[in-house]
Amino acid sequence: MRRVLSHDAVFIILVLLPIIVLVTLFIYYPAASTFQTSLTSENLRIRRPAEFIGLKNYNFLLHDAEFWEVTRRSLVVVLLTLPLEMLIGFLVALLLNERFPGRGIVRTLVILPWMMPPVVNGFLWGWLLNGEYGALNGFLYELGLINQYRYWLRAPETQIVWVAVVQTWTRFAFPMIILLAGLQSIPDELYDAAKVDGAGVWARLRAVTFPLLLPSFAVALVIEFTTTFQIFDVVWTLTSSGGAGGTINPFTKTLMIFNYELVFRDLRIGRGAALSYIILLMSLAVGMIVVWRIYRQGIRE
Amino acid sequence: MTRLRSRPRMIRLMFIYLAVAVTLFWALAPIYWVMVSSISTRAELYTAPKKVWFPASPTLQNYQDLFTTGPKYRAGGFLPTADLMSRGMRNSIVASTATAALVTLLATGAGYVFARLRFRGNQIAFFYLMLMMPLPIWVSLVELYFMFSRLELMDTLVGLILILTTLALPISTWLMTTYIRDIPIEIEDAALVDGCSRWRLLVSIIMPLARPGMVAVFLVALLMAWNNFLIPLIFTRTSASQPMTVVLSLFIGQYEVAWEAMSAAAVVTMVPPFLMALFFQRYLVRGLTLGAVK
Repeated sequence: MRRVLSHDAVFIILVLLPIIVLVTLFIYYPAASTFQTSLTSENLRIRRPAEFIGLKNYNFLLHDAEFWEVTRRSLVVVLLTLPLEMLIGFLVALLLNERFPGRGIVRTLVILPWMMPPVVNGFLWGWLLNGEYGALNGFLYELGLINQYRYWLRAPETQIVWVAVVQTWTRFAFPMIILLAGLQSIPDELYDAAKVDGAGVWARLRAVTFPLLLPSFAVALVIEFTTTFQIFDVVWTLTSSGGAGGTINPFTKTLMIFNYELVFRDLRIGRGAALSYIILLMSLAVGMIVVWRIYRQGIRE
Repeated sequence: MTRLRSRPRMIRLMFIYLAVAVTLFWALAPIYWVMVSSISTRAELYTAPKKVWFPASPTLQNYQDLFTTGPKYRAGGFLPTADLMSRGMRNSIVASTATAALVTLLATGAGYVFARLRFRGNQIAFFYLMLMMPLPIWVSLVELYFMFSRLELMDTLVGLILILTTLALPISTWLMTTYIRDIPIEIEDAALVDGCSRWRLLVSIIMPLARPGMVAVFLVALLMAWNNFLIPLIFTRTSASQPMTVVLSLFIGQYEVAWEAMSAAAVVTMVPPFLMALFFQRYLVRGLTLGAVK
């Protein structure tokens, strides 16, 4: 780092200005004005000017049965997805930490689901799970596990489970990569030392691998929490929440889908704005941990 | 690692490849099926209970139909898909490449400033930028929607590009900052002593040295923009700006369900990210893990 000469000021301003303007204009300004809206009764269905109503929208939502149902459902998706994807991610990371011919190709291929548009993943699984001609039915039939095709997505209570499965399929590569990086940073000597002490495979996992992987686990968990808590695309195409026809599937309505419905279908802008701030508060607490970490690493490193 | 005797080694490898097979089946079987579906005829695809796992005579007819006459499954089954598909592709390609180019340019400049120049407000500006990363995008979208209507940016590619660019800025700037910081500073010092301006320095010294970082940022932004669904869902209305992710979602839930054609549309939508993942994975992983992995 060195001192800035005065003519550098022009350079700094010209380089940073477009970025600051974009972020301010498209993120922070609308965010602030959404907050303002959340304190009003704005509803485009009603021909009446919006009035300031204080925290009434928030109060309404917090006493709204549907809000709690949708929140509970989002948490169910998170609670099903996170352990599953962490487990699969960890197992695959352990596998890819071994040395074997073809490891590079396997790693590349395993990551594919995560790189694809989530909207495609939802569609793809919807077709796999199809009750009349779906591949899952065909596969299980040939293995003799079922003797009749099933409509996997028909029962409302199972739909949300499939949402979690598809989300797990979409995201598991993320914790896998983080954990693999964590595993690779563990020095071999530690394992050798444990071996000398007579530790078996399980004991080595417990005494060396798990404690040293904890930070990686934490990072992956936090990021995956915010991602899955705000799930949208997969739900939309898997259970045809939107479709072009426009009905929103009530059985897989998660927080973000609910928010979309409030704002863009019901046109209850004020209430929708309040909901988006409630979602913000719920996920920000967790998300801030990540930012703080990234910020520190970026500025000091 | 110590060399093991060959027999235990064989057994170890056998277990490993067994696990590899299971893993790859889980990760790839759904992708395989949608690809096979897209090159099957409807008759083969709609067999049950025994499925045809690979078509007897693979065909590209579904793709051809999709881009020419269309298998009439839109809007009650009477509108051809040709227009929707070709414009969807055009919009996706234009929006994501323009976004990636713009992001790379802006992030490289900003990365240089954050990495090399000390000035008052440096840290504040950096934090200001990073702070938006965990913001659930919804809090901005609600009012942005009305703002875009007023600014007549609704349903335009320009509007779409501007939002997608803004969303990719924090992570891209972060990546460029850390990348440029790792470039040895001596070359720049020499250039500055010779009276080289900051602009010249950025363009003719930093940019060539930072090219791998710029490529990574470009690819990450391209992938993020291409895969995005929520943003175009809200800010596009017609085929004037609807990208492939939205076009695909329009096909779903229509009256006549043509899975073979929808599979072809899905494959078309996933091919670019698919190829990028295969060929440029090293570049992508770091950006997509928010720098959690070097």
